[in-house]
Amino acid sequence: MADVTLYHWEPNANSGKPMLALMEKGVAFNSHYLDLLNFDQHQPDYLKINPQGTIPAMTHGHLVLTESTAMMEYVDEAFDGPKLMPASPQDQWRIRWWMKFMDQWLGPSFSMFGWKFFVGPSARKRGEAELEAAINRIPLPERQVAWRKAIYGLFSDEEMAESGRRIGVGIKMLEAELSQRAWLASDQYSLADVNGFNLAYALPLSQPHLANDDLTPNIMRWLRAIYARPATKACWALGRTDMVKRVDILEQDYIPNKGAAA
Amino acid sequence: MTAHPNLTLYHGEPNGPSFTVLAALFETDVDADLVHIDLTHADRHGPNCERSVAVDMSIEGEGPVLVADGEPMADSVFIACYLDAIGTGTRLRPADPYARWQMMMFCRQTIERVAPAAAFLGCKAHLAGKLHAMIPGIFDGLAARIHSEDLRARWHDVRDGIFPQGQVDDSVTKIVQAVERVEAQLADKDWLMGDYTIADLESYAWLAGMVELVPQAFVNKPGTSGWMERLRARPAVQRALSAATVPDPRQVWAPGPEINRWG
Repeated sequence: MADVTLYHWEPNANSGKPMLALMEKGVAFNSHYLDLLNFDQHQPDYLKINPQGTIPAMTHGHLVLTESTAMMEYVDEAFDGPKLMPASPQDQWRIRWWMKFMDQWLGPSFSMFGWKFFVGPSARKRGEAELEAAINRIPLPERQVAWRKAIYGLFSDEEMAESGRRIGVGIKMLEAELSQRAWLASDQYSLADVNGFNLAYALPLSQPHLANDDLTPNIMRWLRAIYARPATKACWALGRTDMVKRVDILEQDYIPNKGAAA
Repeated sequence: MTAHPNLTLYHGEPNGPSFTVLAALFETDVDADLVHIDLTHADRHGPNCERSVAVDMSIEGEGPVLVADGEPMADSVFIACYLDAIGTGTRLRPADPYARWQMMMFCRQTIERVAPAAAFLGCKAHLAGKLHAMIPGIFDGLAARIHSEDLRARWHDVRDGIFPQGQVDDSVTKIVQAVERVEAQLADKDWLMGDYTIADLESYAWLAGMVELVPQAFVNKPGTSGWMERLRARPAVQRALSAATVPDPRQVWAPGPEINRWG
């Protein structure tokens, strides 16, 4: 029995980050799957582990860690295995800059689309009384607001347009950065790549008019290189829903620019 | 001699993120050429500063820029981590990975919750009037240099006096909660994480100016007041504060991180 337990949802976004980091390091861990769409993360058993009710959380012995990016830095420092941070302090700075940019600026714009078109509609299959009860169990007030917006489709056109703008800007920034280096933010595979892959792996599927082999060849090269790693394969095998199948698009050798998305 | 690259630090008044980096620089005994720029005049976006994608798109807003080997770097907490890694002076991060995680978590809460609120209230009190009094052509010329659309929009909001009451109230609440959190941390220790760390610098950086603007947050908070005094008494912090060119740098604010779009 490993002394590490990871509480996670699908290998995607925040859950996928520590999953992939642990697998790259070769750290054995107990996988505790929580169904985000069933609100498992707001149930009393889990709130005993993480009172904020956010996913993921990790326990290492008696220690409890939350927040996926900070958790990844801990994983890299606390365990043996390949280093996922370069030795150069300047590279480390660049990696942290990109992770913050993705976590706090670009990622939330992607999630707004994900929540509007996927999480919200999935959750709405439940009855209103059940949904209200579920929302009221959410410990963080700002997460209540976010879930309410997602569940009832309350994102305004203006908010969606701003998120769309940011996705366009962010994809161009990623392409420019990856045209300068083999990996994101440094010359070696690092936490920035683990983070970025979890954010961007489905881009050629969800934003085919913005991310494809004609417009963003470096993003596509980078995504395929991460997809080819054994740890990535093992990580995505832990998914339980059709969501994980989105990564299959990276098996295609060439994805052309088909113009505006439908 | 320290073996690190030639460094140039472009900084504003020692308040907010410029305070964090100036204090971290002096605490870690790193040599850098210091260049004072006027962040309230959008100097960071013009010929008085060096630029990069990291500077232009930093979600910290108007923070300092450290140039190492020709690479302009932004984001005060990560610059402080860099200085800690190359410096020979006071260590500003714990060595233990879990203690380090706790410190980064504390900083992230400050970055995400406190900094947007403090910058919003600080700009409302101390920058809006100055920008409003600017000749339109001059302001528009400054704003047009700002590459990030959302940062530019925050500058326009300050000039136009757009401070919705809901966001004012929410920002005040965030400051009150932040001081409660600081006070609780200090119940049984002198510094926020036990050891003196970047978390102390970053928390002081955003809260010092709030004593004037949200005084109710600091009533009956002896731990916080004592901590601020202890911090200010440190020679490296004294040196950072002496970089000020105005009587009270805690009254100098420029647009910071955005208030969370998700509510």
